[in-house]
Amino acid sequence: MKRRQGWLFFIIFLLTFSIYLLINFPLQLGLDLKGGSQLTLQLVKEDGKVSKEELEAVNAVLDKRVNNLGVAESNLQTLGRDQLILELPGEQNPLSASRILGKTALLEFRTQKESTSSQLNNLQLQRLKINDLIVQFKTGDKRNEETSLLLINNLTEIENDINYSSNNQQLFEKLVETKKYINNEIANLFNKTDLSGKDLINAGRRQEQTNNNWEVSLSFSNEGGEKFAEITKSIAGTDKLLSIVLDGESISEASVGSQFITTGITGGAATISGNFSAENARELEVQLKGGSLPLPIEIVETNTIGPLLGSKNIVKSLYAAICGLIFVGIFMIFNYRILGFVSVISLIFYGFFNLALYSLIPVTLTLPGIAGLILSIGMAVDANVLIFERIREELINGNTLIRSIDSGFQRANSSIIDGHITTFVSCFVLFLLGTNFVKGFAATLGIGVVISLFTSLNCSKTILRFLTTYQSLRQKNLYLSRSTTP
Amino acid sequence: MTSLSFNLIKNKNKIFGFSTFLILLSLIGILYSTFNTSFKKPINLGMDFIGGNELRIDRSCKEECEFVSPDLVIEELRTFSNNKNVLNNIKLQIQNNNSLISIRTPYLTIEESNDLISNVDKILGPLNYESKNSRIIGPKLGKKLLTNCATSLLVSLFAISLYISIRFDKKYALFALLALFHDLLIVFGIFSWLGVLLSIEVNSLFAVSLLTIAGYSVNDTVVIFDRIRENLKQNSDNYNKTIQISVNESFRRTFFTSITTLIPLITLIIFGSYSLFWFSVSLSLGIIIGSYSSILLAPSFLIKE
Repeated sequence: MKRRQGWLFFIIFLLTFSIYLLINFPLQLGLDLKGGSQLTLQLVKEDGKVSKEELEAVNAVLDKRVNNLGVAESNLQTLGRDQLILELPGEQNPLSASRILGKTALLEFRTQKESTSSQLNNLQLQRLKINDLIVQFKTGDKRNEETSLLLINNLTEIENDINYSSNNQQLFEKLVETKKYINNEIANLFNKTDLSGKDLINAGRRQEQTNNNWEVSLSFSNEGGEKFAEITKSIAGTDKLLSIVLDGESISEASVGSQFITTGITGGAATISGNFSAENARELEVQLKGGSLPLPIEIVETNTIGPLLGSKNIVKSLYAAICGLIFVGIFMIFNYRILGFVSVISLIFYGFFNLALYSLIPVTLTLPGIAGLILSIGMAVDANVLIFERIREELINGNTLIRSIDSGFQRANSSIIDGHITTFVSCFVLFLLGTNFVKGFAATLGIGVVISLFTSLNCSKTILRFLTTYQSLRQKNLYLSRSTTP
Repeated sequence: MTSLSFNLIKNKNKIFGFSTFLILLSLIGILYSTFNTSFKKPINLGMDFIGGNELRIDRSCKEECEFVSPDLVIEELRTFSNNKNVLNNIKLQIQNNNSLISIRTPYLTIEESNDLISNVDKILGPLNYESKNSRIIGPKLGKKLLTNCATSLLVSLFAISLYISIRFDKKYALFALLALFHDLLIVFGIFSWLGVLLSIEVNSLFAVSLLTIAGYSVNDTVVIFDRIRENLKQNSDNYNKTIQISVNESFRRTFFTSITTLIPLITLIIFGSYSLFWFSVSLSLGIIIGSYSSILLAPSFLIKE
């Protein structure tokens, strides 16, 4: 009896501690409950597996970019061997994030090859034309057949000139792809140098004085500054141009004046002026600051949830959980009377312990997670039913109450442990192999199973022992439902 | 309920017949779904597995939202955009008293998805962006998820089998597993039929529900086999009779545990978020079938002629 009392104090202590935890460390809610955007990023490697180092390197670069995005509480995590998950709480339009993250942002400086001037001039002319068409498409009336026909005709002219045609069905995509092709072709007219984005120490942006366009400024490291001086020196005063290439596309070409013929451009700084809008300039700045990605990434999943929907989801889940608890409680008390009452109390304990553990570990609560919790309520009661049925049998067989309770717990033990282990195995596998979404379910159900072992075997027993110390509660018919009372 | 006595020995063949019927029905559903539908898969795979774009958003109407025909909306959308691939495969529904718009399309980039939303806003607006739920899944991730789910299922089935065969002797383990596969096959079959008849799709949560059902069903069977073993130790003279008694003794408890697990699931079906609806349905079905197979089918295997 003394040992039981010790347990009682222990359980009460645990309950107080749980409530303390819940008050001081509120539960972390997932994006489906508080609203925001979640992006799953896949590392792309054509041959072979992505190594751990590569994943870490990509993670580091993206982390810098994400921090420069300026979304509060953003969270970037690796998932499995070749994926990353980015959470942007409160963000309703992940477009700009996706643009900033998705680009490799490999910056190169190239010098023009011999006798390519006429080719370059023509490509630059075509680029001007296509930029014009893109502006027309964006500002023009898309419903108007005439404008789109005009656009198509102009595009065909360009296509014929550069001998390329995009396979894309959509006009806008066609325009963008053609522009990309032209930029690639321009980049191919230039020789690579050893100066790249790695030699940058900072990047910034400012508005050009002459017009409304933005430019991106670069500061090189000491070594980078020397390389830049060397490169500019080599083409100063010639008709060769310097090209700034981003992800294989030439975004800007510039000549170096003859005044730099002796020293090159010194000072370790340069600017890129490539008709940037304010937003484009900011994106490039963030990308360059973070460095280039060692492997390209692809955004394979985007999930956006509005804040209103999130709070609706919380309310719905709360309803489901509370109603579930109430109905299970009614069912148990109706069938098992005092025993049922005991199971309801230990279920309430169970709920608190679960939530406390979520805030302690911590487990981020998501919709599937709540489903796991609600399902685990059912499973926790399972164990109680097993025990109570045994107690009932013992009572019907004419055993004393105390003896029945003891042997009921004892005999149900192995079945309960078996059942919990099989469920736990499923959860474990789900947690190891599942996606983020699935992991939430596996985590809460798995934790529930473990706690249920404790509450159903120990809490119920302790509470029951405590109640049976009162003489008035020791009548057998309080433990058997009416239909079976002899 | 204590007076309930079910003659398992006599009804053994009826049970086998019923289960065979269910399994055949499931197999027919799976085959029909594989060969006679547009998606040509054993089950109608949802967006999680094949990629795509799903958008749900509320209209903010002053009073009640007026009825708008979905076909008309699609027709209007065509004038805004000429992306044929999307517009030919678009599915648009307007639910909840004309207030909730839900749209499914093939895979879109975030940009294209934003375009689509702003076009819908022009036709059905103003929209309540606070209630937006947009999911975009690339086809690559879909394939990965599918293999991922299949591996999880196989690995955990293997782990459960291993546990059972250590825990019980071979005969019991085999029958517990047979009952388990019976349950999974039937739930799968039901969803094949749902896919064929009502175009209900399965997503990754369906795989999760199958795994959970597996754990639950085995757990249930283990409890009954435990009881049979225990009773056989005390009374090994009349083998068949002892099994029947054990089954009858476990009846109440299996029935009750199923009910207590079903109650929270039913509250989830009624009150829970829509994304958990079919998940809860498949779990509930699995628990009903799992209880049937553990209390009636699995012990029937043990009955000797």
